[in-house]
Amino acid sequence: MMELTQEIRSGWCVVTVRGRADAETADDLEAALRAALEANAKVAADFAGLDYISSAGLRAVLQAARAAGERKAEFAVCALSPPARRVFDLSGMHHLLRIESGLPC
Amino acid sequence: MIKLALDGRLGELQRLANEVERFCREQGLDDEVRFDLNLALEELFINALRHGGCLGMEHAAEVRLALEDYGVRVEFRDRGAAFDPASAPPPDPARPGGLGIHLVRSIMQELEYEREGEWNRIGMRRMVKPT
Repeated sequence: MMELTQEIRSGWCVVTVRGRADAETADDLEAALRAALEANAKVAADFAGLDYISSAGLRAVLQAARAAGERKAEFAVCALSPPARRVFDLSGMHHLLRIESGLPC
Repeated sequence: MIKLALDGRLGELQRLANEVERFCREQGLDDEVRFDLNLALEELFINALRHGGCLGMEHAAEVRLALEDYGVRVEFRDRGAAFDPASAPPPDPARPGGLGIHLVRSIMQELEYEREGEWNRIGMRRMVKPT
């Protein structure tokens, strides 16, 4: 189960993700982030409410980051819990992403 | 101990997560252990569905979890094509795939594999700090 919400704050489009980013929900996550990037120059994914992420969720985030690069948009991954942060670190993806401890706005 | 049989479809992930959560709650295990057990089991299950030919198969996989002295003993079995995650090559950044198995090998200890008839059997342990 995953809940996705979106709001504009101080020039940033904040996509709030709650629940699980797994193989069943990864496509929804990627679609929400891509849609936000198509309409906004600055997108922050707020993962404070993310309980769990697997390699499928990581790939969705990486695909969004690639889309942001192509559009020259800013994309930040924010407020990861310690176990979720560890998965990003183990994957090596922390070198490819802007990861923030809190929201940029 | 819990023992769970899974059919070969994505919708089983939520049921797997619910069972792992129940096991961790009953055994007093923290969120980090729950996260890692979910991660290892999802990656192996999805690998069996996407690459092992288990998609659409009834009773495609089985999971057993048991708390022992030094951690959680995990057994995952599937009826997919023979695949040994313990000897799979490391992921290649230039190619997709391989990341899930890399994560399993990073977070779990004592990974062992054997082929038993039509089943892959993967045994592993998630260490737990003594309380």
